[in-house]
Amino acid sequence: MDETVKKALLDIVREENFSDSLIDLISDSYDASEHKHRPDVAVWPQNTEQVSAILKLANEYKVPVTPRGAGTSLSGTTVPVQGGIVLDMLRMDKILEIRVEDRLVVVEPGVVYDQLEKALDSYGFFFPPDPASGVVSTLGGNVAVNAGGLKGVKYGTTKDYVLGLEVVLANGSVLRTGSRCMKCVSGYDLTKLFVGSEGTLGVITEITLKVNPKPPAIATCTAYFDDMADAGSAISETMRSGILPRTLEFLDDQCIVALNQGTDLNLPEVAAMVLAETDGFTQEGADYEMDKVIEVFERNNARGITRAYSPEEAEHLWTARKSFGGVITRLKNNFIVDDTTVPISKLPEMLTGVKAISKRYNVPIATMGHLGDGNLHPNILYDGIDPEEIARVRKATADIFKLGLELGGTLTGEHGIGLAKAEFMPLEHDEVAMEVMRSIKRLFDPNNILNPGKMGLEV
Amino acid sequence: MEAKYNFADRFGDQVLRCSKCGLCQAVCPVFGAMLRPSYSARGKMLILKEVMDGTIELSDELIETLFQCTICKSCFENCPSGVDVPEIIRQTRRDMVQIGSCHPAFEGMNEVLKNHTNIYAEDEPEDFERERNKKAKYVYFIGCVGSYREDEATMSTLDLLDRLKVDYTLIDEVCCSGVLEDLGYQINERLARKNIDLILATGAKAVITGCPYCSRTFNSKPQYAELNDKGIKIIHVTQFLKGMDFGVKTDKLVTYHDPCDLGRHCGIYEEPREIVRKIAPRFVELRHNRVDALCCGAGGGVRGAYPKNSIAMARRRLQEVEEVGADVVLTECNSCVHNLSNAKLRKQKFRIYNISQFINELMEGTE
Repeated sequence: MDETVKKALLDIVREENFSDSLIDLISDSYDASEHKHRPDVAVWPQNTEQVSAILKLANEYKVPVTPRGAGTSLSGTTVPVQGGIVLDMLRMDKILEIRVEDRLVVVEPGVVYDQLEKALDSYGFFFPPDPASGVVSTLGGNVAVNAGGLKGVKYGTTKDYVLGLEVVLANGSVLRTGSRCMKCVSGYDLTKLFVGSEGTLGVITEITLKVNPKPPAIATCTAYFDDMADAGSAISETMRSGILPRTLEFLDDQCIVALNQGTDLNLPEVAAMVLAETDGFTQEGADYEMDKVIEVFERNNARGITRAYSPEEAEHLWTARKSFGGVITRLKNNFIVDDTTVPISKLPEMLTGVKAISKRYNVPIATMGHLGDGNLHPNILYDGIDPEEIARVRKATADIFKLGLELGGTLTGEHGIGLAKAEFMPLEHDEVAMEVMRSIKRLFDPNNILNPGKMGLEV
Repeated sequence: MEAKYNFADRFGDQVLRCSKCGLCQAVCPVFGAMLRPSYSARGKMLILKEVMDGTIELSDELIETLFQCTICKSCFENCPSGVDVPEIIRQTRRDMVQIGSCHPAFEGMNEVLKNHTNIYAEDEPEDFERERNKKAKYVYFIGCVGSYREDEATMSTLDLLDRLKVDYTLIDEVCCSGVLEDLGYQINERLARKNIDLILATGAKAVITGCPYCSRTFNSKPQYAELNDKGIKIIHVTQFLKGMDFGVKTDKLVTYHDPCDLGRHCGIYEEPREIVRKIAPRFVELRHNRVDALCCGAGGGVRGAYPKNSIAMARRRLQEVEEVGADVVLTECNSCVHNLSNAKLRKQKFRIYNISQFINELMEGTE
């Protein structure tokens, strides 16, 4: 990188917020996926003015800029694949306003999801998306990839809560979108355009989020299924039974085997396990919905249904699901986690289809997911040493995407496209859609400096 | 094929098992205070992964992160993949020392302990106005920080032992030198020998330690195995005081800070709480407590090598004290007392004590 640019960056953020040290360049080369590429420098802006000055400079010298939060993305979204500047937003981490009377909060992008949850707790409010990485992922990152989570089935994803944004554009100008109102149809919905744009259109420097009153009553149960298609049917039937659970988590037989290998849980080695949770403002309400869930589960041949009657019992039921992240890393050296999402009614076909793909290419796939919203997480396990194995993994990944799309689904429900799914974009979006996306990118970022190489937008 | 570095031989599988999930960032005290990803456990593992790949070599350039870890063990407790980062860091520091890449402060401490009896190179030992090296049932082993930096706290603990009519003696103790193993060096055999001989000469059946790190060193390091072989028990002062009746109470709002060396490293969480609850009916937990406790920032050589960052970590811990509005923070580690006291801001009116010191002051009527 041009020394003039480095010097100018130093002037903008000062020494303590600038680094071209090897240690920072290495740690900023990665996210939580298998992708990596070193940047040239890392900077930690403190405020919008600095972000603006940095982008102006980068735009002038045509230097790539990759914004980064906690770096927990699973698709290579924050990997600076063309080098340049990593714009680490972690130090813009203030909660600026909590206004429950207006049902909103205003935060800087570096605020960690969990930090906001804790702050809202005393007001009896919460920000519902609940990404699994919420103890560490930042709200800026959540907005940039439109993160989902464990409560998406009832509460939706990040996009359903973003009321407005402050975004610094590629030329350094500062755009404010949306409003502080629950309703707003004033002009184009620029807010939504930036939610899930993966840092390719601008850098988010302030977020206004809608928050919800937190239902205090919860009911939890787990159930086992001997046939995976029964589990899929149980879930899709629950979703049309007239009630709305907040969580429907699924673990397949491979996940159960992995859990039994890596923990002392001793789960029955069946085809699938489902965890359901309902909530409400009275226990009667939550229990009424749970009764319905259990009715549907029983009708679909569930067995070993266990219901929690205390928070401790509920915690115990969650153990298997929460332990999964730990055991998966011990089976093979590497894994790819996808997030293919299908219409809810297509779940049984999708689940059996993934099994067939696993068999076809002889690669173990442990599938879990937030199935209440049709969101699967097939975890493809591999050692990554044998090129022939890697080729099979690639084919299996491609087939999962194709199957999901054939069933009317999407490549990604909550992790984003990033690098991992970039080449598959044209499978989901036809040339008209791709060209509209490219022209939006050109409009906002004519020099292609913002997180270049992502989302399959480059021809 | 044998790996180039010992860390790769011993822990290579664990380094590769790090799934890069980043959950350690939520608990790493160095990352938490500095918000620099290369300081987190994940950052360190990614660097070691590249060393194993052969992309980079261990070198001076890596000192800044590899020598900046308090060995607090929070990352290990929260790692879904079970990567034992503290042990990996210890081994890597040994590898770095071998190739001549070491933080000067760490190297300095090793040099100091070659020629002196304590980490501060103080040649005039504090005598605490007590006869030393006499025959007694217990040896009270103070530790370097308690001897040379928090001597008032130590005096108070000794007064308490007197009040409780404990038959103990001090010895001409020297640094246990356990800390050297965190810094990439080995326990100093000369110092270990001297401590063992002095302890054995007293005829004591147990050693009570004020410092949880000394306690851990005596209990787990082969250089001190002779103590165990001769039937001498090593107990931390909180274990010793547990179950005793002091006959005093405070009406102040009291909280407790778990030292990493006592908590995550030794699993001692409840004994100190039992004592504190007895003397302080108004007890409140900090937001991060027990296995989740936030490190004070002093450990692993970080206070000596990176004092500014060490204080920043302590300030984060003290913010949690402010949050609960406590009047008194109790702990039982002179190193924690020292670092937290140094970090305390003028506006923060709470007091920081060792439990034993606080009990003594209650009994004395000065608190």
